[in-house]
Amino acid sequence: MPRPRTHPTWPRLTRRGIALMVVGVLMAGVSLWFDLRDILVLAFVGVAMPVVAAVFVALRRPRLAVQREFAPAVVPAGESTRVSLVVQNRGTRTLDGAHWRDRAPEGALAPPETLLPALGPYEAVLPSGDDRVRVEYRLRMPRRGVFPVGPLRIGVQDPFALAGVERDAGAAHEVLVTPRVTPLSEALATAASIDGVVHGLQRRNHPNSDELIAREYRYGDPLRRVNWPATARRGELMVREEEQRGDPEARVLLDVPTGARSGLAVHHERSPEVDERFELAVEVAASVGVHLLEHGFRLRCTSITDHERGLGPSAPFDGSYRMPGGEHLLLEDLARVDAAAHRGRADDGRAASEVRTRGRDAREPGFAVLADPSQADAGALVALRPSFEPAIAFVTATVSSVVRQMLEDADWNVVTVRRTSDLDGAWTAIASTAVRDAS
Amino acid sequence: MHPDQPVLTAAQRLGLTAASFVLMATAIMALGPLIASSAWWWLCAFVSAGVLFAGAGLRALRVRGALVPLLEAVVLLMLLTLLFGGSTSLLFLVPTPETFGLFGELFSGAQRTIAQQSVPAVTVPALSFALALGVGVLSILLDILVQVARRPAFAAVPVIVPLLIPGFIVETGVGLPVLVLVAASYLLLLRVDVRVNRSARFELDRDDGIATVTAPRRVPVASTLGASLGVAGVGIVVASMLAASTPSISSSLLLGTGSQSTLFARGVSPFIDLGKDLRRPEPRPAFRYLARDGDRPNFTLLTLDRFEGDVWSVADRPVDGDNTVDAMGAPVGLEAEVETSEHPIEVLVNEVRTTWLPVPYPSTRIDGLQGSWFWDDESLTVRSADTNTAGQRYEVTRLEVEPTVEQLRGAGSSAGIDGRYLELPEEIPEIIPATAASLASGSGSAYDTAVAIQAFLRSPEFAYSTEAPVEGGYDGGGFEVIGSFLEQKQGYCVHFASTMAVLAREAGIPSRISIGYTSGSPTTERVDGVQRVEVDSHDLHAWPELYFEGVGWVPFEPTPGRGSVPAYSRPGAGQSPTSVLPTGPASTTAPSGRPDLDPDRGFAGPASDPFTNSGSWRVVALLLGVAALLSIPALTRVLQRAMRHRRIRRGDRSADAAWQEFVATAADLGIGIASGTPRAIASSVAGRPAFRDPDTSAAMLRLRDAVERARFGPDDVVEPPPQARHALADDLRAVRRAMLHDAGARDRLAAALLPRSLVERVVRVPGVRAGGGA
Repeated sequence: MPRPRTHPTWPRLTRRGIALMVVGVLMAGVSLWFDLRDILVLAFVGVAMPVVAAVFVALRRPRLAVQREFAPAVVPAGESTRVSLVVQNRGTRTLDGAHWRDRAPEGALAPPETLLPALGPYEAVLPSGDDRVRVEYRLRMPRRGVFPVGPLRIGVQDPFALAGVERDAGAAHEVLVTPRVTPLSEALATAASIDGVVHGLQRRNHPNSDELIAREYRYGDPLRRVNWPATARRGELMVREEEQRGDPEARVLLDVPTGARSGLAVHHERSPEVDERFELAVEVAASVGVHLLEHGFRLRCTSITDHERGLGPSAPFDGSYRMPGGEHLLLEDLARVDAAAHRGRADDGRAASEVRTRGRDAREPGFAVLADPSQADAGALVALRPSFEPAIAFVTATVSSVVRQMLEDADWNVVTVRRTSDLDGAWTAIASTAVRDAS
Repeated sequence: MHPDQPVLTAAQRLGLTAASFVLMATAIMALGPLIASSAWWWLCAFVSAGVLFAGAGLRALRVRGALVPLLEAVVLLMLLTLLFGGSTSLLFLVPTPETFGLFGELFSGAQRTIAQQSVPAVTVPALSFALALGVGVLSILLDILVQVARRPAFAAVPVIVPLLIPGFIVETGVGLPVLVLVAASYLLLLRVDVRVNRSARFELDRDDGIATVTAPRRVPVASTLGASLGVAGVGIVVASMLAASTPSISSSLLLGTGSQSTLFARGVSPFIDLGKDLRRPEPRPAFRYLARDGDRPNFTLLTLDRFEGDVWSVADRPVDGDNTVDAMGAPVGLEAEVETSEHPIEVLVNEVRTTWLPVPYPSTRIDGLQGSWFWDDESLTVRSADTNTAGQRYEVTRLEVEPTVEQLRGAGSSAGIDGRYLELPEEIPEIIPATAASLASGSGSAYDTAVAIQAFLRSPEFAYSTEAPVEGGYDGGGFEVIGSFLEQKQGYCVHFASTMAVLAREAGIPSRISIGYTSGSPTTERVDGVQRVEVDSHDLHAWPELYFEGVGWVPFEPTPGRGSVPAYSRPGAGQSPTSVLPTGPASTTAPSGRPDLDPDRGFAGPASDPFTNSGSWRVVALLLGVAALLSIPALTRVLQRAMRHRRIRRGDRSADAAWQEFVATAADLGIGIASGTPRAIASSVAGRPAFRDPDTSAAMLRLRDAVERARFGPDDVVEPPPQARHALADDLRAVRRAMLHDAGARDRLAAALLPRSLVERVVRVPGVRAGGGA
């Protein structure tokens, strides 16, 4: 995200000021050429007035207090928020001849330069409200991210509109734009194919069904949890699954592109296409994550390169979210994921994280969302594969065929998503394949 | 930048109009030093107010913006009819063809009065007409700039016109108070415009609903007054200081030779012109007159009384508006003891065309003149402010002064006369004081000296010749010339007259030179028993007049063979009436002795319009001006095209710019429809033969697609990259080439000279727009 540039607050002549100056210079030329001393006064009025006006606006800086509010403060991408501003004159002089323009983030449409009504002097006692003006406008936020809105640009002109200066008033305020969430059908959550975790979930929904309490013994399960009746019935070792009751977990691994990659020239400069794919990946992750959370999963959402820690500094340390309220946190954290800013974190993240399998853990559903992964990322995913069941990789069109091949070889279920509207269909298809595989 | 311009309310427009009027009214004040009295200012202010407020009224009635200036011109015409049309108009307001004839006369009269009058000028009707017309036209121009174009900063352009004029005519130019007032009212106009613009845009912003602005209920407006006054005051003071501290760069430094003196001549000696005219062949009739009792006076046109540099010239005195010719002033220095008698003379001028009226000196009254004529205080010469002598018929009452020799000889010291009649330059050729001393030594009184000088010049040593001075290189009336003349002893009336005048001044007698006509040749024709006398260009003459206390200005005749020697000035006059030197009779001698004159050119010198001398140059300038005027639309169009290409290059709504240019080109050539959606326009031109070529057609479609994408695509669509813009410009050029190729030669010419797209642009201008910038 580019920082707002600090504009120099030098006064600039308006078109009228330039015109007057040109007329003045021409008149000075005429008067010197024909030796008309009298006209010289007017010529210099033409030359001097814009300069005096510029000095005037440079010296007379308004003192303004600006309050800004957003309603709502967190906006889904594509929606608009109402920005309310209260501009108060803190100076002892009337402020007139000003116009305002709010600095909107790139891509959002702020209202054009609009006149600011005259503001009376600051009323320290007996405030009647004549020293403040209230401005409201709607700001449509097309893109996900955290965007600073403001500071307010206040342009002041001299009384004759010959020169003007633009100054910042107040500070910028951030508005959080969360990724769009595509509602997904419930297919996956009800599918019986998902290992233990989902069974536990379903048993919580149906506490009386005795059958589903037990599961087959896996290496590492403590013996005290062996469910003997079930073992007797089934003829193989079964264990109780109390701990996971009501606490199924799922993983979402997001591929956050980092700049520090070698080998692929295309990565040195991020193309708008890659950015777009990354946005799509974030939307997929958000949709899947919210879907899972809504269906009772505890969710861990991390990046691939740094899969032990949360997505950002504000995210939970291990990147786990749970209901209630988890979906808002997830969306906000996803809103803050910034591919460019992530680069800095990438190095230490890579150094710290080795690819470890969590063999001890139960296998959980794993969803990898890939926009532009390197082969190292793919290798990490391959290494993580054993801890996931099912393991589904959503890939966008920019993912290279090498990576895709690696994942397929490692038995990842690779699903291509080209646009958000594909997602629901892809989701349903996964569910049915998963069911078929399981059956 | 707002796409739609705010519409001003009637009150806002009235405010702008009032500020414009104040500016115009103060600007006309600058003409104050040039014109006597102040009635003209009220007239100009009335015309300006009429035009400007009529415009405001029309706009309040929601007349289309482009029509208002035209209607203002109509109002100006009606005002002029009301003020100057008199009985020729219908209902005092509606002009008739006669009114236009009258206006034409007034206008040419105004040109003459501007050429002839010196400052401060008298407001003759013609001058008032010119002022009213000029102010009216400037007011319309001001109104267009302020209200239609909404660029009040450029109001300085029409306003500067009246401010420039005085600087060219009077040395001091416009006074500082007026300039400060003009600057202040200009700033007032800018301030009013800013306020009007703000409130209009505020309404617009409120209406378009992009942002809701809740303004405070009341705000002290007066508190911004201090800032306005402060900025304006500081600006004006700084400007005055800068102007005062700027060194004067004289025009001669810049131009090599002063262009002013040739373009704006003031006080040029008529002598050189006279000399040229004296050498022309073919006499031409000047005027004729009827005088009873054999009265044969000299007719004075103008009087030269001072040295300008090295030559004689006429003092540049302004016309005094009170000196009307129905009661002329008394001759200077004439006292009651001197015998006088009045003689009426009827004069009919047929061909001579000067601004100076031939009248005998001294005269008491003149009747029957056309136009405005005024007499000068001392010389009693009569000149016109707005017309000339052509075709004039008038009756002049001449005062014949008949001093006796005793009165002349007894005249005391000439203390009562202005010192300038005795002024001589510091350095004069040695021969002049020597000659004067030798002539003055033998005589007692001033009168005797004068008679001696005249006798010296009329002696046989001196010969009359119009050619010798030119061959000898001493033509004119300057001191070097007089010195040479005294040695060569050959010359014509100019030399004799100026020599006598200089010698008289050297001897302490006030003198001046009159230029005019001698008494002419009597014809056999009689009117009512009075002999008619014809005066032609042969009778053009110059003679000295000397001043004697108690008698006044007395003419002498030093030129041999010309004019008549006055009785009082003959040597020995008054002593023995019988001893009389041979008198040079009126208009005698051989034709070769009479100078040939071209009266048309005779005395136009002192205040002639410099342009009349160079007719061909004027034609060329006129043609150039007309060509420049005609090429304005073409230049505007070329400029517009360049601006749009620049927009394409710089990516400032490039697709729009390309499409506008394409539509304008099509409109210029009369192809397709001028307005509509891009798709409609594209399909309307697609059938043209120019677009049969698939490349051209594809280029046009690319232009169309680009503009559609820009106009109807998502709001945040970015400008195409430079290569795409470049391609856009190339497409535009290709399409334009094809369309030009397709059109006929006539259409192409019309498209170049009178681009129709400009007209449509003007017609589409809505009533009044609030401007953005200037």
